[in-house]
Amino acid sequence: MDDFGKYLSKPEHEIRIITYRDVFQSSAAEKSKFSDEYKNLSAIIQLDKKDIKKMGLKIGHNVIVKSTVGEVTVQLKVIESDIPHQGFAYMPNSPWSNAIVPLSDDRSGVPEYKMLHATIKDAKNESITLIEELIA
Amino acid sequence: MVIFLRNKYSVCPGCSLLCDDIEIEMKGTEIDKANNACIKGVSRIKDTKKLESKIDGNEVNQDEAIFKAAELLQNANNPLIFGLDNSTTEAQLEAIKLAKLISATIDDNSSFCQGPIVNAILKNELKTCTLDDVRDYADVLVFWGADPSNSHPRLNSKYAYYPRGKERQRGWDEDRTAIAIDVRESSSSVLCKDNFYQIPPRSDGELMTALSSAFSGKMPKVSFDIETQRILKLSNILKKAKYGVIFAGLGLTYSQTGIETIKNFLTELNTYSNFHLIPMVGHYNMRGFNQALYNETGYVNRVKFVKNESGNLDIKHGLQYSVLEQLNNKEPDTVLIIGTDPFTSMPHSVAKKLKEVPTIIIDPCETLTEKIADVVIRSAKSGIECGGNAIRIDGTCVELVPIINSGCLCDEHIICKIMEEI
Repeated sequence: MDDFGKYLSKPEHEIRIITYRDVFQSSAAEKSKFSDEYKNLSAIIQLDKKDIKKMGLKIGHNVIVKSTVGEVTVQLKVIESDIPHQGFAYMPNSPWSNAIVPLSDDRSGVPEYKMLHATIKDAKNESITLIEELIA
Repeated sequence: MVIFLRNKYSVCPGCSLLCDDIEIEMKGTEIDKANNACIKGVSRIKDTKKLESKIDGNEVNQDEAIFKAAELLQNANNPLIFGLDNSTTEAQLEAIKLAKLISATIDDNSSFCQGPIVNAILKNELKTCTLDDVRDYADVLVFWGADPSNSHPRLNSKYAYYPRGKERQRGWDEDRTAIAIDVRESSSSVLCKDNFYQIPPRSDGELMTALSSAFSGKMPKVSFDIETQRILKLSNILKKAKYGVIFAGLGLTYSQTGIETIKNFLTELNTYSNFHLIPMVGHYNMRGFNQALYNETGYVNRVKFVKNESGNLDIKHGLQYSVLEQLNNKEPDTVLIIGTDPFTSMPHSVAKKLKEVPTIIIDPCETLTEKIADVVIRSAKSGIECGGNAIRIDGTCVELVPIINSGCLCDEHIICKIMEEI
């Protein structure tokens, strides 16, 4: 059953992403944006635990997040909060989130940092996107 | 290496709070400790590495890199200068001179950040106050789309919530009310306990309209799930404030296509109360850039200088001169980036357009964008390796005194040398 399963494509789930700032990630950026510390604090997406269960994803596994302008592989995390946020995921503002943030359609000139429509699916065995790949 | 440490306290250039109570401890010629600074500030101050200038990825001396940069800019027909929010006011003024000299477009991060709010403040369209006023008088603090615990870590301990001030002597638990309005629970919203109002993305304007109704005694209505009683409670706190301050974060700014709703709300609120607004600008001298360009041109960002037929400079302004529009439409034929990293802060679909044009970087740190740049000029880290002035988040001018002299040229002098070459 497991062998057969690997040939099936993983289901994609729609999600809206809000980017945010994290002081520990900002501190890591000051030291080096090419460090594992910066990658570990940046290349993540946080979902509501009910969404994770409903989508059949696993906390700590890698997921592929795809928008109209790009895709990245990041690690899935959960927020331990009493306030549910189903349908919304959070990503730190970083090169990984900016790989999938599109420009807005309105005349504000501000990209969709706070309301990014994307899909998410299990990354199987794919590794987190390297920072060098994001620049390439 | 010369140690400059003359004053007891140094200023931290980690963010736009420009905390002026940093105690530096040296170990030989190295900065060992930056006491009182937050985790971000410590990293900014301590992690100062000596890096080399580059042309096409190969290490060169700084003069060669400056000469090459001048050559590229001189040959450009439509150059773009972008960044400068992590530079001193003196460097910003030199960059504006350079933009005039080479008829360039000039823009900064406020173009897709807090520019509209800073613009309204400079035009006296929004009532504002200083951080010292906040400490001394503010009894109601509203963190609207803002999470200072992560963006401006010492705001609450130094100015807003915890300190005692002239008219706030009884401490935060009795004298101050903190409110958070945000689309997500954050470190700052947790601090506000029952006064955290979670709203759906882009509902900020709707909540403002509902609050305005409540101010005038009407029943507030919103399309999202929130108890009417909670809106009435919030409107009551806002109306009764003796000295209120709204800290406008990116969450609030990004929820609006303009700032008319914010201006109207503040005007309405101030018919009952006494509220001020401070924009939570991130980079340590973004307000300095906005102020400097505004003084020169009447605009805070998105400016192009064009020589007219009589040889005088015309000033053009508009969305088409924003860095994002310029790059997306492949307008510039050479780009000079000073103290910022587009591959970290802007959509890659736009940042990748830099690969198609000659790109020059002036930066003390290793950035992602320099990997695709033609020329990299290493500069001194301002506030640490060189001094100058900067404008704090609240519009107050703060002097930065260098802590050490690494022998590296500062942005200001690099830009001057480029102009001399041109």
